[in-house]
Amino acid sequence: MPKRVGLEYINNPQFTNIDAMENLIEQLVTVTINGKEIKAPPSLSTIQALWYAGYPRVQSVGCLEGVCGSCRILVRRAESTEVTMALGCQTLLEEGMEVNFLVFPTPTHHTYNLEEIPNSWEVQTEFHRIFPEAVNCRSCNGCNKSCPKDIQVKEGVALASKGKFQEAGELFVECVMCNFCMTACPEYISPNHVGLFSRRVTAYFHTRPSNLINRLEVMRKGELKIEIDQD
Amino acid sequence: MSITYQEALNNYQPLERREPAVETLSTEELLQQYHPDHYKDAATTLQVGPNRGDQCHHQLADMLQADARIDEADLAGARTRQTDVLVIGGGGAGCAAALVAAKAGARVTLATKLRLGDSNTVMAEGGIQASVEKDDTPQAHYQDTLKAGHFHADKELVASMASDAPEVIRWLIQQGMQFDLDKFGDIMLRRAGGTTADRIAYYRDYTGLEMMRVLRESVKNSNIEVLDYSPAVELMSNQSGRCAGAVISNLKECTFELIKANAVIIATGGIGRMHLNDFPTSNHFGATGDGLVLAYRLGAKMLDLDSFQYHPTGLAHPHHLAGSLITEGIRSAGTYLLNSEGNRFVDELKTRDHVSSAILKECTEGRGIQVGDQATGVWLDTPGLELRNPGLIAQKFPKLVQLGKKCDIDLTTTPLLVYPTLHYQNGGVQIDKNGLSTVPGLYCVGEVSGGIHGRNRIMGNALLDIICFGRRAGAHAAECNRRPGHKKISIEHLSSLRRNLTMAKMPMEQKGPMLFPECAKFEDDSDYDGLHKNRNRKISTT
Ligand SMILES: Cc1cc2nc3c(=O)[nH]c(=O)nc-3n(C[C@H](O)[C@H](O)[C@H](O)COP(=O)(O)OP(=O)(O)OC[C@H]3O[C@@H](n4cnc5c(N)ncnc54)[C@H](O)[C@@H]3O)c2cc1C
Ligand code: SF4
Ligand code: SF4
Ligand code: FES
Repeated sequence: MPKRVGLEYINNPQFTNIDAMENLIEQLVTVTINGKEIKAPPSLSTIQALWYAGYPRVQSVGCLEGVCGSCRILVRRAESTEVTMALGCQTLLEEGMEVNFLVFPTPTHHTYNLEEIPNSWEVQTEFHRIFPEAVNCRSCNGCNKSCPKDIQVKEGVALASKGKFQEAGELFVECVMCNFCMTACPEYISPNHVGLFSRRVTAYFHTRPSNLINRLEVMRKGELKIEIDQD
Repeated sequence: MSITYQEALNNYQPLERREPAVETLSTEELLQQYHPDHYKDAATTLQVGPNRGDQCHHQLADMLQADARIDEADLAGARTRQTDVLVIGGGGAGCAAALVAAKAGARVTLATKLRLGDSNTVMAEGGIQASVEKDDTPQAHYQDTLKAGHFHADKELVASMASDAPEVIRWLIQQGMQFDLDKFGDIMLRRAGGTTADRIAYYRDYTGLEMMRVLRESVKNSNIEVLDYSPAVELMSNQSGRCAGAVISNLKECTFELIKANAVIIATGGIGRMHLNDFPTSNHFGATGDGLVLAYRLGAKMLDLDSFQYHPTGLAHPHHLAGSLITEGIRSAGTYLLNSEGNRFVDELKTRDHVSSAILKECTEGRGIQVGDQATGVWLDTPGLELRNPGLIAQKFPKLVQLGKKCDIDLTTTPLLVYPTLHYQNGGVQIDKNGLSTVPGLYCVGEVSGGIHGRNRIMGNALLDIICFGRRAGAHAAECNRRPGHKKISIEHLSSLRRNLTMAKMPMEQKGPMLFPECAKFEDDSDYDGLHKNRNRKISTT
């Protein structure tokens, strides 16, 4: 096993004394990550565990806070045959857990440009042109089961197919675009992109704040110029 | 002596009212005595480069004056691409610059370190500043920004940013970004610490996530060529010293590649993962200050390299989440900070440097709350807020509620332990109002740039600055760089760098840019042997 780095480098360099840390921490657990057996405190995430054990980890690491969607892992828990998907930075170690990191998510085949949608009457037609598979959803629930944010993905796809874009988009507030639902979907619907499309058309066509519009209008007339030497 | 976490929790009582703090020190005295920028030995004097003689944090100075990662030998046989505008860094600033440049008709290549959108931008919570309320003006925005930065910012940059702000919000909406709206469809605004008006537009406490996923989708649906997992390791220049491209290391194929470009826009973000003064950080994994190092070597002048922002409310407990950011929005909403005696000790809405220094003062003087041997902090009194505004936390701060869950803490009944966390680089590459650095052909936008925030930034001005100057640089780079490619392109500047380092008797062991935090062990990762060949060869011949 390679030399261990101190916990000080993992997140908080204030912790300079590993032994003190270990007294503070619970029993170590044994897990297997990318085929390597690792003993580490259960309060660490799978990414931190690799670093703690001295293994390199660069790919799939991002925000470390569960919002960038980079750290995709497959997890099998002890005494279970089920493999689940999760975010590595958000998954704390459990005894006997097996973890494999996934890298380089495949991009979606759907492309669109908001500016090519002539007006809000055409959004639904355009949606079905851009995402022709959405109507084929067979409610298999694969997307919902795979989502680490517990988003009602399937319901979102159904709403979008019916042209209820604002409601659909609301379901995807916490989506981190990890692409798990996309991988899980047997119909190649790219449900997360359906969700994001729904959110984007809502803003693009319907966010018209009068306070902002007024301000822009006044400024366009040349008013409210900043005087640089006034202070 | 500080009391323990458990004791402090037992002593703690949620109260609706608490007396305001009585502060005895002026802001200036407080900063001088307690702000980490003023720690003894924090700063050193730069020995080589365009800022020779200037003060700089010593950890950053080590990187700016480090040896390069590559030399000519690495480039033999390297694949070469050609583009009009090369953008380095795929956060908010980089995506905005790329989108605008591409729209203006330029061929654009965007190279980013890891996944597109893995950035500080995606993590932003609080919101983005723009004066859109009736009783607010761009002038007030300008004034507040200058004042918060202790009148140290470049006035022209601040004025450009404050007057662009409403248009920036509109541009974001046109990309498909949502904002929280009131029942009339108006943009809702909240107030940042140290400002005179409600000026922060936001989307829940997911402003950055919403911004980043929209910009990423926009970029992916454009004709911009995206090279992900491709950190830049060096810039290239032509015979007259004009920036003419960059060398990237392709982490998928483990090879170096040359990208020739008529203009380069650096948008690599901040330095949190350098862990200055051993502070925890709120920043993402890739925030290692690479852009500063690249630009400095090519001769770009820097500003305020000894000035950093420590955000007052980083999580201090539990340890595996230490450093995680708690949005300032929660203090804007009226949450108090309390010491171990249950007293307020600072006006929570003062500027960040003031509030952080006040927290450090409490902890130094024994009124902090201690966990185990190391972590100390003060209380963020969310239960008090819940008493004053029932339901507000759950409704407006879903991300914070999530964080509470991860800590096993119910925010409505139990306070969080907080301690300042290294958050933002106030200074950076000196730019003009088009984002152009002092090196021709080289633009720097976003957190990597300096001069916009002076010596302290207010919440919401960073998200504004990255889009404002990202767009400006994208437009300018596309417009002014249509001339055909350069004759001769090289990494010649490294010869003079090495000469200067040797002459100044600087140690040459350290290599820059840093690329990844130490814990990730990039240098030892056998997956990347292809990128370490040259280093290995050098080691074996000496
Ligand atoms: C937790 C948190 C909360 C925040 N909240 C707010 C807020 O509410 N309001 C506000 O205004 N500001 C906020 N900020 C600050 C703001 O988010 C950042 O300053 C801003 O997003 C920086 O944008 P950027 O595009 O310059 O850099 P980033 O968004 O960090 O993007 C930089 C990109 O460059 C890449 N990169 C780095 N090095 C290289 C290299 N060598 N080669 C290629 N690519 C590279 C990175 O991987 C990254 O993708 C917050 C910051 C954090 C960390
Ligand atoms: S909806 Fe899909 S992409 Fe979004 S978080 Fe859930 S699984 Fe990930
Ligand atoms: S995975 Fe695809 S087919 Fe299955 S429910 Fe989700 S969207 Fe429908
Ligand atoms: S590293 Fe960003 S979600 Fe895990």
